[in-house]
Amino acid sequence: MAAFADFWATYSTLVYSVGIHALLALSLWLTLSCGLLSLANAAFMGIGAYTAALLTLNLHWPFPAALLGGAVAPAVVALIIGAPTLRLSGVYLAMATLAFGEVTRILILNLQITGGPEGLNGIPLLTTGWYIVVILAVAGYGLARIRRSRLGRAFEAIREDEVAARLMGINVESHKLAAFTLGAVLAGVAGALNAHFTFFISPREYGFENAVDILTMTILGGTTSLIGPVLGASILTLLPELMRFLHAYRLAVNGLILVVVVLFLPTGLWDARRFRQLLKNRRARKGGQP
Amino acid sequence: MNRVSKHFSLALAGLLAVTAVAGDLKIGVAEALTGGAAQYGVPIRNGFQLAADEINAKGGVNGNKLVLVIEDEQGKKEEAINVFKKLIFQDKVLMIFGPTLSNSMFAAGPVANAAKVVAFGTSNTANGITEVGPYVFRNSVMESDVLPVTVSTAVKHYKIKKVAVIYGNDDAFTKSGYDVFKKVLEDQKIPVTTTETYVKGDVDFKAQLTKIKATNPDAIICSGLAEEAANIIVQARGLGLKVPFIGGNGFNSPKMFEVSKTAGEGTFVGSPWANTNPNAANQHFVAAYKAKYGSDPNQFAAQAYDAMTIAAAALKTVKITGNLPADRQALQEALPKVSITGATGPFKFRQAAPKDGKPSGYDADQKPFIYVIRDGKFVLFTGK
Amino acid sequence: MLEQQLINALTLGSVYALFALGFTLVFGVLEVINLSHGAVFMVGAYAAMTAVTRFHAPLGVGILAALLVSGLLGLTIDALILRRLRARKAPHLIPMIATLGVTTMVTSAAQGLFGVEVQRFPEAMLPTGEFVFGEVHLRTLELGIVAVAFLLMALLFGVMRYTRQGRALRAIAESPKAAALLGINVEGLFMLTSFSAAALGGVAGVLIGLDFNAVTPMMGAPILHKGIAVVILGGMGDIRGALFGGLFLGFAEVLSKAYLSSQMGDAVAFGLLFLILLVRPVGLFGRVLERKA
Repeated sequence: MAAFADFWATYSTLVYSVGIHALLALSLWLTLSCGLLSLANAAFMGIGAYTAALLTLNLHWPFPAALLGGAVAPAVVALIIGAPTLRLSGVYLAMATLAFGEVTRILILNLQITGGPEGLNGIPLLTTGWYIVVILAVAGYGLARIRRSRLGRAFEAIREDEVAARLMGINVESHKLAAFTLGAVLAGVAGALNAHFTFFISPREYGFENAVDILTMTILGGTTSLIGPVLGASILTLLPELMRFLHAYRLAVNGLILVVVVLFLPTGLWDARRFRQLLKNRRARKGGQP
Repeated sequence: MNRVSKHFSLALAGLLAVTAVAGDLKIGVAEALTGGAAQYGVPIRNGFQLAADEINAKGGVNGNKLVLVIEDEQGKKEEAINVFKKLIFQDKVLMIFGPTLSNSMFAAGPVANAAKVVAFGTSNTANGITEVGPYVFRNSVMESDVLPVTVSTAVKHYKIKKVAVIYGNDDAFTKSGYDVFKKVLEDQKIPVTTTETYVKGDVDFKAQLTKIKATNPDAIICSGLAEEAANIIVQARGLGLKVPFIGGNGFNSPKMFEVSKTAGEGTFVGSPWANTNPNAANQHFVAAYKAKYGSDPNQFAAQAYDAMTIAAAALKTVKITGNLPADRQALQEALPKVSITGATGPFKFRQAAPKDGKPSGYDADQKPFIYVIRDGKFVLFTGK
Repeated sequence: MLEQQLINALTLGSVYALFALGFTLVFGVLEVINLSHGAVFMVGAYAAMTAVTRFHAPLGVGILAALLVSGLLGLTIDALILRRLRARKAPHLIPMIATLGVTTMVTSAAQGLFGVEVQRFPEAMLPTGEFVFGEVHLRTLELGIVAVAFLLMALLFGVMRYTRQGRALRAIAESPKAAALLGINVEGLFMLTSFSAAALGGVAGVLIGLDFNAVTPMMGAPILHKGIAVVILGGMGDIRGALFGGLFLGFAEVLSKAYLSSQMGDAVAFGLLFLILLVRPVGLFGRVLERKA
């Protein structure tokens, strides 16, 4: 048991990070499920993190209330910028959200209350494993339910063909706004949780690289199901730790794996359809034999 | 379950840890060895390595060899926490040097402090670092100890009436340097003509410098790191802006002269270290570093080198019992009593003021020197 | 002061335009947001640096080395990755992520090979000339960058408009399928485009590396962000747009630093990008580029 205690003491932060990244990947999965390629989720994470941290640091709010604050603030911002932005599509939407993210980061950098580039330090350690497990489970369950609901099917219809969806009587604008905002909520909660076990946040953590990281995790895992993003997040979080022995070149391996997966597994690592197909082929082969 | 995890951690330990012999003193080094901050982390690691090799070549500390467990924290806060935890709980080191950036120390320092393990920063200059707790030490000199005397010396020398300021506003180090400059200028009642900023990765500073030139200052105060500062000075000269520069710790690197040997002429720099400092320990360090790594050391390497010497001096007074928590505690108690003369001159610790009634860690108590750049070298300023 | 700031804006804008040319070329022809363009840019700078410092070659040879090494890297990326993704008609997002992986690999390899510290060209090697008109200063090197940016833009534009290959490329941009039916060697031209775009990126790397005399493995990242903004402003895939977009961003940045506050330089650039996209969803100078499959 002592070995396990050592193991947990060493790697608990890593395990927490896996949970946070899974939440972020799911937040993007939700936005993508409506066909929106958004790079704003890192900024939403930052807004959530700063809001929650300021609430616990300055106003001494209890943690659940601060988490709620970390969910509401990015949702409000998403509602405000969403209406005009979501008229854009494809690459242009990606670039507009990227620009929004950069402006957010620079604003945080230049505000007094956020501590500028020095960030906020001394954030109390309030996130425990249970918070992450419960929130991740609730998010996973909620997303699974949404997927099978009218709302989820409307998202899918919009992703497949916006014009057809509109003809079917789906209010495309409000559905897009809903997907964007719910994604922002999840990202904000992830940020709030992260702030409360790393003692410190700074604007640098919510920039372009992080937006792309979130995207990478989601795509690497695969967007055909909820398992994909969680798997992608886990792998990209754990891989650098396992690759430590490669020293200076370990990031090169990270990049290589990304390229290889994109090239050879077009739908990401986890694709339920592919698995079913494999299973069927095997059965067919077996069945074919006398 | 138990056996599985035991095997797993054994396998991990075998894979990752340095095999230690009884009597070895295991010291953790957590620095940014890849990523953007590696340009500071790598010379720091070199400084530690050089000092440890020299100490071991002389028979170690009380006959025990120093064994460094070096880990890359990438300049990221989560990585810094992960690496600290690995060093504390897995590798079971006596103490940890690092991390490289102040931001990372704000994240990882509390981990070490809670585990009652010394975290010794050699490059963290931000305010409030040592308020994390009594297990946080640093030998990096805070800007607030260096800049007031630098500014007043330069003002007297050049008869400066008004200055312009430029600083990097997205970096904790350069921003906190700016905050100190701002306060010093207010205290010394020197008017500021304009305050300009840039961000990391910027290479074009001409817009800001043109603006500065139009306000006609007598000198330019710059809180930045040498890589950017060198380009700022060269571009200022390119725009016909000929006034002297005043800089802090960040200026203190041979990199200042790589872009141009002559552009930095007359710049005032306040710092605990310069490669030209004639003290014997420093001359030995500069020569040994160059012989081992083939390049000139910078201040980061010098402070790391001294930090290892400080730790060795403390370890000399500690009786290692093999009871890890007790040994770690004894080391924490021994460190504040150390006083040495290293590459950065005479050094001792000073306990920071307690915060919210809780005891704080230990800052450097060191006398800064004022250097002026002459003929492409840092020359100790002697009043002429 | 205004005159000098206008010159500053012109040189900065040209730097952006120079970088954006190759970036936008790849998008125009291959419809790929090539996030490895920053890494290719960095490799060019190191190729020249190595030629100059290790093999003591003259600067001209260094620039040639950058052109070749970067071009070949671009070709390799195309042959190994982008071609396969084209073959299976992967959506936009996928090549973007693949090229991001390439960036990580190349940057990490450069860190391992060349170290993380800033490297500089020998001072003696740099052109030191300077033009002074009253209070306004302009270095020869800056003038060179402005000239090269305009020249390359004109050259590329001419090639696209008046040569057979150029017409073929424009046909591909309209519809690769139709182009193939017309007997155009589509794959060959894709490879040519990848090579030229990367070679342009490499040359930009040397020139900008020389201008600011700072070469690091990370130097591609900040300019890539700006490059994205430039290409969007100018209209994705539009060669003239790269120059207009670059100059527009250069002027917006410099003038906002000069007359508003330098703290907001980048916020202005990206805020502008955001607003312009809302008003004109295809960029300031862009036209709707719809590929007929």
